[in-house]
Amino acid sequence: MLTKKQNLLETMNGGNPDRFVNQYEFLDIILEAPLRTRPQPGDIITNEWGITYSWPEGQLGPFPLHDDEHRVLKDITKWRDIVKCPSVEFSDERWAPAVEHANAVDRDDKYVTVFFASGTFEMTHNLMGMEDAMMALYEEPEHMHELIEYLTDYELRYAEQIIERIKPNALFHHDDWGGQIASFMSPDMFAEFFLEPYKKAYKFWKDNGIELIVHHSDSYAANLVPHMIDMGIDIWQGVMTTNNTPELIKKYGPDLTFMGELDSGVLDHPTWDKETIAEHVKKACETCGKHYFIPCLTQGLHFSSFPGVYDAATQAINDMSKKMF
Amino acid sequence: MSKIEEIQAHVEKGKSKIVPQLVQEAIDGGDNPQDILQAMIDGMGVVGDKFSAGEIFVPEMLIAAKAMSKGVEVLKPHLTADSSTSLGTCVIGTVAGDLHDIGKNLVAMMLESTGFKIVDLGVDVSTEKFLNAIKENDNVTLVTLSGLLSTTMPAMKQSVADIKASGLTGFSVIVGGAPVTPEFAKEIGADGYSPDAGSAAVLAKKLVTAA
Repeated sequence: MLTKKQNLLETMNGGNPDRFVNQYEFLDIILEAPLRTRPQPGDIITNEWGITYSWPEGQLGPFPLHDDEHRVLKDITKWRDIVKCPSVEFSDERWAPAVEHANAVDRDDKYVTVFFASGTFEMTHNLMGMEDAMMALYEEPEHMHELIEYLTDYELRYAEQIIERIKPNALFHHDDWGGQIASFMSPDMFAEFFLEPYKKAYKFWKDNGIELIVHHSDSYAANLVPHMIDMGIDIWQGVMTTNNTPELIKKYGPDLTFMGELDSGVLDHPTWDKETIAEHVKKACETCGKHYFIPCLTQGLHFSSFPGVYDAATQAINDMSKKMF
Repeated sequence: MSKIEEIQAHVEKGKSKIVPQLVQEAIDGGDNPQDILQAMIDGMGVVGDKFSAGEIFVPEMLIAAKAMSKGVEVLKPHLTADSSTSLGTCVIGTVAGDLHDIGKNLVAMMLESTGFKIVDLGVDVSTEKFLNAIKENDNVTLVTLSGLLSTTMPAMKQSVADIKASGLTGFSVIVGGAPVTPEFAKEIGADGYSPDAGSAAVLAKKLVTAA
């Protein structure tokens, strides 16, 4: 039986995997690493960037507040005066749990993985609100380029720190680039603003020990796949069924592995059931096949919003492995 | 190309600095303000269709709406009360417990561009707020509920049921958002569903003009 890592590489290289890669099994994500304040359910917090997040009790996650009182950046032309990136240096005590976790990982079996969120695009609209961020791409492109560069530099400085501390092998990087049926912006606009900064960031990570870039965007983004490949992404996590993943695998498989096809919005809800999850897993495995594909809930971490859903998907994938391998 | 055609073309391209100037020139040249307004509405119709077809994206829609809005500012003093193309008032909001606003905002923008007066209740809107807004505003012809989270679908269902059971009449109720399907919309008693902002405007106009 192949190790998780070997099985992943066989899957990504179109070789001879002996089972489906099962969701996030190959990543050991070091969530203890210090990054920024995160809200908990029921909280309203303001983080180190000045962004205020609300997480209503009983809901699925936090959301940035962009009313006049809370929006950080109201005028993009003044971003240099307003946006102040937080320090990336943390004490040994803050790093200790992350280092301990990383040291405990069997690196022959799994990748020690950095979790990085929010990505550059998300940061622009977290700071400004979606409408302002999108309009500014047309109306103040120079300022947007500068802000994006500033945000990218922040990521690189954080990368230096975490690479030194935990010597990671993989990066799990969040940045949602679309809704469920369309990317937020055209591929050309995406290339103009985000391609080079991401190439720079992902090259830095890879030049410093990262073997695997896993990018999360639980959305439609099929039209951005050539750019994903160009910027160095190895695995696109969060690919939704709206992307026609089987076609993407046929077209781009050797260059990019697709991780998802189990739409969390459809499967992960209060009245979920095992049978529906098993049906979706079966369809995903049969239509996407054994190579360049990892069946996975589209949610951006290794758990579900409702207890039992992630484990039910894991079990259904194991069952499909027995049938198809 | 006539001035009015030029206005429509520049709205479609989102030229917010040029459109007001063109509108002024059209007014000065004796064009009917109603025709100028209709050209901008038609321009946004094209934008909505292109958005639905995936030919343009959120930024293009936003700048087109801004261009129209700038044009309307110039045009407004020249429109008589009976010359508007109003489709009535639309009350819109994201349902209780849900803080997502971009989808709702895009729909509101497209509905406004189509000819609705918009009463935007924002996010996390309770049924009571929807009902009060329907009562407090004149000529409400459309109520639009948005929701992005699967966990807020019960709130959408409840709000639609309460609005329908309120005895208030004269409007259609439409719903949308990532987890909403045509089947769900039908099941909860909504009058319509659309998958995106462009088609929401088409649907809303159809529902309201058919009523």
